[in-house]
Amino acid sequence: MAAPANRTGAGPGAAVVIDSVGKTFRRGGRRTVALAGASLRVRAGELVCLLGPSGCGKSTLLRIIAGALPADEGTVTVGGRPVSGPSPDRGMLFQTPMLFPWLSTRNNIMFGPKAQRAARLHERDDPELDTETAALLDRVGLAGFGDAFPHELSGGMKHRAAFARALASRPSLLLMDEPFGALDAITRERMHEFLLDIWDQHRTTIIFVTHDIEEAILLGDRVAVMGGSPPGIGEIIDIPLGRPRDALDVDTELFLNARRRIRALLQQTQLRS
Amino acid sequence: MSLWSTLPPDEQVLAEPAGDEARALAADQDERADLAAYRRARRRARTRRLGTGALGLAVLVVLWQLVAMLISDPVFLPSVSQTVASFAHYFVHPYPSQGKPLWYDALTSLRRVLIGFALGAVIGVALGAAMSASRIVRHAVDPVIEVLRPLPPLAFIPLFIIWLGIGEMPKEVLIMLGVIPVMAVTTVAALDEVPDDLRLCARTLGASPRYTMLRVQIRSALPGILTGMRISMAGAWTSIVAAELIAATSGLGYLIMQAGDYLNTALVFSGIISIAILGLGLDACLRGLLLLADPSRRR
Repeated sequence: MAAPANRTGAGPGAAVVIDSVGKTFRRGGRRTVALAGASLRVRAGELVCLLGPSGCGKSTLLRIIAGALPADEGTVTVGGRPVSGPSPDRGMLFQTPMLFPWLSTRNNIMFGPKAQRAARLHERDDPELDTETAALLDRVGLAGFGDAFPHELSGGMKHRAAFARALASRPSLLLMDEPFGALDAITRERMHEFLLDIWDQHRTTIIFVTHDIEEAILLGDRVAVMGGSPPGIGEIIDIPLGRPRDALDVDTELFLNARRRIRALLQQTQLRS
Repeated sequence: MSLWSTLPPDEQVLAEPAGDEARALAADQDERADLAAYRRARRRARTRRLGTGALGLAVLVVLWQLVAMLISDPVFLPSVSQTVASFAHYFVHPYPSQGKPLWYDALTSLRRVLIGFALGAVIGVALGAAMSASRIVRHAVDPVIEVLRPLPPLAFIPLFIIWLGIGEMPKEVLIMLGVIPVMAVTTVAALDEVPDDLRLCARTLGASPRYTMLRVQIRSALPGILTGMRISMAGAWTSIVAAELIAATSGLGYLIMQAGDYLNTALVFSGIISIAILGLGLDACLRGLLLLADPSRRR
């Protein structure tokens, strides 16, 4: 059922256990190992960043957790249950907002709840969904834009609308695939604050994929450095910065130390490959 | 009980939004005002564009009238006023060579185009969907379409008379045959263009595979399919004259050929204008559907 198990637990987020996950793509007789022996335990309510260059298997791993790709080896469990396909309990945000262009912001947000109702995963009625959607629009600062279509929103607004749409399914885990990579630097900084703010309120577990070292340190409780040959999860770094964080933390000693260490790790994995 | 409604209200206050949005969300302002103003500005721009378009047509009509007045030979080029008079007269009065007024021919052609178009659209979209869904179907059908596409409809007329006789069917089939490849090609392109991540996105929001197929993949391709319909509808009208060369005794194509034989140039123009009006009208209907299907085109 859609109601996530964590609803009765201590926090809204679900713990994620990734156990020696591997994936090999075959195309025309050629085999490419996209991921090998990846293991990671994410605590409930934690924000973990997967950091690495392109081709390091971070997006592949995210898609396996989402249930979009089957793993060839190993298992992934979310909230104690093994992943076998996509589920509204595991929300996903993409590099582009992926809003449905024919739906208003309000109907984009209601897409999930309505699709789940069609699949008989819940029986919330329209007035209840309307109330919840209005609250979500307000929460992401789009209160006046419920009737706007995606093309009428700015880049940052689209991402916040996509965020609200993912939250409407009340996920216990959010998977984010370089979600702010296409935004300008200033809007991106705002989105970081927005993300941390929302996360602070909901304490959903978040796995955040990025190739930006500073973004990873600024957001993550921990940063898993990925890369190597075959690609996998290398060292996992604790980020000792306190919360709440903001863009000013970039200049602190703790931040610079973390960045130096991650740089070194990324260089090592490159030399090995 | 939803998660966020349980939070204290002071936690629901967001960080100040950035850039453009800040304008809209500025203190004490109704945020809706910005969206409404944006839409008003777009409507004004559209009105201006329509005005410019009407101007282009008006210039064409004025030029036609001027040239006709200079030539002053109604058989070579009737003036605008002569053409309008001829159109108005024959619209209700039958012309001698046929015994039916213009509206009857217009309706006859409209029926042939609509039947041929509808058949072609249904078959073309189904074919395109099958090609998009199956690699084998795509590779098998693609060359067939590529071979058929450049063939002129006129070339099929003798065959159709041999196979299908001289009734309504060969005319409708001829139109259908022009519509199918266009619809198949545009449908394949529209379905191919739906990003994989959009499907995945719907699935992670709890949509079943069937719900995703209908409400996301096909829905997302709809504007492209409607654009294909606009293209093939225009194509259907261009082959009406060819279709009505098949032993026809009615229809605008037939009327135009007849009027030409009798050197009634104003009536030829009346027939051409009728096709233009019907074509524009049907295109406007499809455009309306397209605007309904794709909000981003409403500008």
